Amino acid sequence: MSLGTKLKIGITRFLGTNCDEDVRKWLQSLSADTTYLWFEDQFDVNHYDMIVLPGGFSHGDYLRCGAMAAQTPVMKSVKEFAKKDKPILGICNGFQILCEAGLLPGALLRNKELRFKDQWVQLQVNNNQNPFAKKTEVGQTLKLPIAHGDGNYYADSETLKKLKDNNQIWLTYKDNNPNGALMDIAGITNEKHNICALMPHPERALYEWMGSCDGAFLL
Amino acid sequence: MKVGIKIMPRDVILDTQGRAVESSMKSNGFELLSCRVGKYVEVTVASENKAEAQSQVEKMLKEGGLYNPLIEKFEIQIN
Amino acid sequence: MSNKTLANEHEHEQKLKTYRLSSDEYQMMTTLLKREPHAIEWALFSALWSEHCSYKSSKMHLRKFSFRNESTPEMDGENAGVVDLGFGEKIAFKMESHNHPSFIEPVQGAATGVGGILRDIFTMGARPIMTADYLCFGEVDAPRMKDLMKGVVRGISMYGNCVGVPTVTGQTNFHARYNKNILVNALNVGYFAPGQKMALSGASGPGNLVVYVGAKTGRDGVHGASMASASFDDDSESKRPNVQIGDPFYEKLLIEACLQILDQELVVAMQDMGAAGLTSSSFEMAAKGQVGLVIDLKKVPLRDSSMTAEDILLSESQERMLLICEPKNFESIKNTFKKWNLDAVILGEVQKERKVKLQWGVETLTDIDPDLIIEKAPRYERPYQRWASPRKVEQLATPTFRPSELIQKLTKSFKLNQAHWIHNQYDQRVGARTAMACESSVAFARLDHSGRGLGLAVGCRPEVMQMDAEVGALDAVYYPAFQLALKGAETLAITDCLNFGNPQKPEIMSEFVASVEAIALASRKLNAPVISGNVSFYNETLEENIISTPATGVVAIRDSVENLISDQFQAPFESLIAVQMKWVESWTAVMAADKKVSSFKQSPGCDVPDFIKQCSQMDAEFKKLDLPISSIKAIGLGGIATTCLKMTTDAIGFDLSYDLNGNQEADLFKDSFYGFIVSTGDNEKTASFLKSHFKNLNVEIKKIGETTNQKITLSTSTQIEPNQFRTDYLKGL
Repeated sequence: MSLGTKLKIGITRFLGTNCDEDVRKWLQSLSADTTYLWFEDQFDVNHYDMIVLPGGFSHGDYLRCGAMAAQTPVMKSVKEFAKKDKPILGICNGFQILCEAGLLPGALLRNKELRFKDQWVQLQVNNNQNPFAKKTEVGQTLKLPIAHGDGNYYADSETLKKLKDNNQIWLTYKDNNPNGALMDIAGITNEKHNICALMPHPERALYEWMGSCDGAFLL
Repeated sequence: MKVGIKIMPRDVILDTQGRAVESSMKSNGFELLSCRVGKYVEVTVASENKAEAQSQVEKMLKEGGLYNPLIEKFEIQIN
Repeated sequence: MSNKTLANEHEHEQKLKTYRLSSDEYQMMTTLLKREPHAIEWALFSALWSEHCSYKSSKMHLRKFSFRNESTPEMDGENAGVVDLGFGEKIAFKMESHNHPSFIEPVQGAATGVGGILRDIFTMGARPIMTADYLCFGEVDAPRMKDLMKGVVRGISMYGNCVGVPTVTGQTNFHARYNKNILVNALNVGYFAPGQKMALSGASGPGNLVVYVGAKTGRDGVHGASMASASFDDDSESKRPNVQIGDPFYEKLLIEACLQILDQELVVAMQDMGAAGLTSSSFEMAAKGQVGLVIDLKKVPLRDSSMTAEDILLSESQERMLLICEPKNFESIKNTFKKWNLDAVILGEVQKERKVKLQWGVETLTDIDPDLIIEKAPRYERPYQRWASPRKVEQLATPTFRPSELIQKLTKSFKLNQAHWIHNQYDQRVGARTAMACESSVAFARLDHSGRGLGLAVGCRPEVMQMDAEVGALDAVYYPAFQLALKGAETLAITDCLNFGNPQKPEIMSEFVASVEAIALASRKLNAPVISGNVSFYNETLEENIISTPATGVVAIRDSVENLISDQFQAPFESLIAVQMKWVESWTAVMAADKKVSSFKQSPGCDVPDFIKQCSQMDAEFKKLDLPISSIKAIGLGGIATTCLKMTTDAIGFDLSYDLNGNQEADLFKDSFYGFIVSTGDNEKTASFLKSHFKNLNVEIKKIGETTNQKITLSTSTQIEPNQFRTDYLKGL
């Protein structure tokens, strides 16, 4: 499989990012042209077609998950990139960073059981109007793994209503909500649907031997 | 009566969180000499007597596992 | 020293006690130095001659692990063992204990245990790709035990998840003999891609620089010896032990920085600062490289400026390394570490004269030949007796018990528990290599370059060790190798972590020697060398010793990661076939449930290694013959019944009342080593394949029952309520 014309994708790298290599392997398997974007450096927003914020424990996830990463120079460029309506994908810690940076609404709180949780989840696609959902259909179920301590999505009721009304709720947990997220939210987008993020890890579900291939539906 | 408890990592113990916050602040151009991160717990007890409230909270700290004496120290704050 | 006054004598005794050196060791020290030791030398000898650093009671027996084969290069004295996997790929792996610190502060104790074993791996230049844990807890209701369990799991999870290395397999045991001394062992496997450079630990090249990298030094672990006796009721800060704090975030930075400078070939040698910190790393690097070092302790980056030279030498602050580089490469190293927000500081240099000279600014604290303290360390031949298997019998009596009560006892004591609550706190998939993890008894990771599957399992069943040290230690190797073989993987190499009580007690030492010899024997039989390991003695509290526990880690290889067969039943109404070689038979699990120790019967003429080998070849045949095998699992303690219980899912149960062949219901719980159960959609074809595959071996092959739609039936008289069982089996803390 290939992404067609060689897509230039920037992958952010903070101190403590640990899914960077996994995401790069995934994107390279799709023949994308990938570049790491170091947290201390700003980048030329015109050079890239897409930015991915992979998971990990940026800056140790101390203080609040993603809080310190959100204050770094690379995020200034990510914000600029976002304004150009180009696609951004945040995975796990990437989701947390996008929320802390104000690029996505809401926050990710400690899991309801106050523990890190690693498990497979069934997700429902609620909306396919975003760059990472084109291969999926509304109502489709995806099997992906989660691995996080802070995935409990929270937003005030007004924001939640807005998310719903604007079709910003991308993915929800089916049957069994692993972390207490409001409205079973596992992934959301911004109003313009170019900034997308999810707690599960698509890069860990690309082949049968991994336990599921459903991550491949995202790109 | 409201009793505040400031719980901090003991001075001799490495504060991993404080160290990370300190270096992040510094790299963002803020000036600081050091940073340590702890917790603040607020407990409301029925008693209105300061000494009594203090001793109740001390009991919680020492017997209730509110802090870990191996790695933390505390300070009780009553207004 | 006859002219010593009584006061001096007393002072001297105190000093020996403080530094944990015997009178004989003191004599040795003065003889080697040809003078009285200087102030700081007491601390050096104390640290490096400790059991932990010198292996003084075990070294002469560990030589029995000298067997190597063509895949295992001679790497003695390095931080971990290396296996050449072919296709240019290599792995480094090792297992280590962190028992005592975990009992004092479970979260940090377990976390720093994981951190330490990771550093042993990446200091060699390998990227850590899999972690396993091996835990022994006391009875769930013993004092502090639930907090210890939760804390240890949190520590492993906190460290491993953040550092980005998946924890993929493990074993958790429960026994009263660990009530006052839990075991926390961690294993790590690192990967060398083709062409990736390996780093060694011997210093070389006079004029080369000695460089300190990583986190700053604090008082962590300084005077850790006083830990056990300290009373925490006392509020005075100074009396409390200085618990080592692990920071997985810093470790992650250290991994990336170290692997980067190794990749750029900027490093001559590298060694992590583990137990006894800077002392052991500097003396070991010098001794290994047969050179000397000059080090100025004043240059060590400190968290606390009031630390003395002795504090600095003995600090066990985490996430630090010592490396040797050519002077021209220092700037590049420094820049790389700066990029990763870490210190890199020159402490001194390598010198030709074989002496380690420690300076405090201009003052020389010591200037001694590292061999005096490393090579010439004391070696003890502790008294022991040859193993005589006191519980071996000719005939085994069947105990009386009620199966449903036994199952309740086992689930209540957590002995029959999926440990899901532990494993789902571990990130099992970071790295995107995991093909099989904690849901199964063994784990597999995909090797980046060749796409083959690297299998990993840990072993040692305390109840079997308690029954017989020799059988138990053979089993510690055979059982994990057998479990891996059932998934089609061929055993490559072994690491061990020998947790024992006080070696000065002959009965403990006898079990130690029996275990070492049994592991060495099993390793030769399987052509799988023991390439690394760790010894943890003095696991005793108030004269009470733990069960001797030689934990092992076994790695194995499989052609691919595709089509791994599950441990769990996949569909109802399939046939269950058991294949068993009855080498050792016992009632281990049944007796242990009543806190008793079983006797055992041993059959001569059972070729266990050959059985294991033939099992590993079976998986490829299943595929070739298109046999509809849906699950496969080794028969564990508690026999066929307990193993089938472990294979159930929420939707699928089993029925063993099918045909007992005249056997007693109790026999379903009998332990016999080794055997496995397969579920198959084609009973006849599978049975006939198994019969022909194992035709040269003395094994029993029979259909034992069928899978069902949830219902669990042991016999016509015993049914187990499936929902209740699943709830008990999955319960956690």
